[in-house]
Amino acid sequence: MNRFLKLVNFELGRFMKIYLALIGITIISQIAGVIIKSNSYVERANEAIYEDLIPKEDFFATEGLMSMLHVLRSVWFMGPIALCIAALIFYVFFIWYRDWFGKNTFIYRLLMLPTARIQIFLSKAVSILLMVFGLVAIQLILLPIESVILKWIVPLDYRIDMTVGEIIQNFRELQMLIPSTFIEFVLYYGAGMMAVFIIFTAILFERSFRLKGILFGAIFVGLAVLVFFSPILIMEIMQTYYLYPIEIFILEIILGLVVIGASIWTSHFLLKKKITV
Amino acid sequence: MKVNFNNRDPVYVQVVRHFKEQIATGTLEPGQEIPSRRELANKLKINPNTAQRAYKEMEEAGLIHTERNLPSKITRDEKVLGAVREELIEQAVDSFVTSIRSINVPLDEIVGLLQDKYQKESKE
Amino acid sequence: MIEVKNISKKYGRKKVLNGVSFTANKGEITSLIGINGVGKTTILNAIMALTPVNSGEILINNEKINKASYEKITFIPDAITMLPQMTIAEAMQFMQDFYESWNQERATELLGFFKLKESNKISSLSKGNTAKVNLLLGLALDVDFLLMDEPFSGIDIFSREQIAEVFTSHLIEDRGVIITTHEINDIEHLIDKVILLDEGTVIKEFNTEEVRENEGKSVIDVMREVYRT
Repeated sequence: MNRFLKLVNFELGRFMKIYLALIGITIISQIAGVIIKSNSYVERANEAIYEDLIPKEDFFATEGLMSMLHVLRSVWFMGPIALCIAALIFYVFFIWYRDWFGKNTFIYRLLMLPTARIQIFLSKAVSILLMVFGLVAIQLILLPIESVILKWIVPLDYRIDMTVGEIIQNFRELQMLIPSTFIEFVLYYGAGMMAVFIIFTAILFERSFRLKGILFGAIFVGLAVLVFFSPILIMEIMQTYYLYPIEIFILEIILGLVVIGASIWTSHFLLKKKITV
Repeated sequence: MKVNFNNRDPVYVQVVRHFKEQIATGTLEPGQEIPSRRELANKLKINPNTAQRAYKEMEEAGLIHTERNLPSKITRDEKVLGAVREELIEQAVDSFVTSIRSINVPLDEIVGLLQDKYQKESKE
Repeated sequence: MIEVKNISKKYGRKKVLNGVSFTANKGEITSLIGINGVGKTTILNAIMALTPVNSGEILINNEKINKASYEKITFIPDAITMLPQMTIAEAMQFMQDFYESWNQERATELLGFFKLKESNKISSLSKGNTAKVNLLLGLALDVDFLLMDEPFSGIDIFSREQIAEVFTSHLIEDRGVIITTHEINDIEHLIDKVILLDEGTVIKEFNTEEVRENEGKSVIDVMREVYRT
């Protein structure tokens, strides 16, 4: 195993306990959500149909048939996703600051490794990306399992069965996490990665120049955002829309790569010449 | 081996003196093997470079000799060994005389006192 | 040889280092002594490229520090450089994973020498034992130069004695050592060279045996002269 992979492995290991806890919470909460939502639907339907003697068709017309979409909109389902997102956003910062703070001074060790220091930066970024993919994968595995549980609880004529693809297509929030086309995937995850790189660079500015570094970091973030959105901004300001969407798309990908490149180069420079323990 | 070093004399000089004392008292016998510089440094808790320096001095003074890769040994040269004894005696007398001189005691008074003390101490 | 050439460093407006120059040789123990100020640690950090300097240059065996240098020179800061939740064995494994210069045989020997248990968690260790693990992780690297920041401060006397023993043993071999300290009682007989610092500059540099031989002075005598005038 080369040193870069060892670093990634090490970074993943350091967050593993919390990460597994997040996965655990997601699984428990979502499956509990399916069970609770399904049971309450069946209960309400039975009550309406057999006790209040409301015709089936009327009940379904007002309430709709039971499907995974009912579960998805609940806090049982979206809650843990929001929690995971919040935790990972927090960790984007903490993955750096934890090395400086506390009685141990792990940053000394990291900076004294006989590897290019940019590898520390890249290993942390790759770790974040892998953790995001891991959570998305767990979600993809959970969706069919949750559909099966729903089928067990809700009788056939009370429900609409949906494939995983249909579930995602009918739910905007999930579409962002699990894009259906390759282009969307590149766009969402590329933008996400770019954001992580920009934030990492801003953190390194702060770690290099402390108070003044916060200002430098903010300027860097501002510039990066400006460069990335420049085609759209220019067109809005000029009120001339002379680019086709596909052209904008390609331009954005190029600019995204430019921003990522600038971010890595700047971080490389900061880690090599300016960083301070 | 435990030596209390003072802080103002070079440590290597103190190490050499320590060896001379051991030779004079017979603790170290002619031809006896002595520790390597590393072992000595470790035993005396001194810098290995200092141990090296002390051995070099002793080597130059003919107190010890080393045959290529073998451990260093105390010399068997009677003349050198005798000189060590004489040197130590001389040093001790010198310092004794210096301290006596500083309190202005006449020689006759000392000789008698010296005899008394020396005999008393050997009886005890 | 480590050559520190005229380095200066400011924290904000405060000058911490002001034109510091000295050399430290392989096979010698060089001690950076200063009775006050943070300059000593900053010098070690600067040598290891853990903090930038405003001017000056540092060469290690005639080269500027680069990633390969960390197989040749290592630094033992005054706090442990491993995660507290790691066991000693895990910390050693980490070192073995990342350093070609890691010498497992010597690491095992040091474990015995310091009477440490591999399965212990770093966070559960006493101050003295934490310092020993920290030292072990540095000493088990086959490097030419070893920098130590205040290895004797804040730990019990027996740990201090044990650590001092390292300096006279084969564990140091013929390496070059730079050690910072503000108290030299523990190591007066161990060091070859003293660099006295004050207000961010080198105010005196001398060889301990030479000063004893030529001037009949102890290290403390010289320090007294220098710092009290």
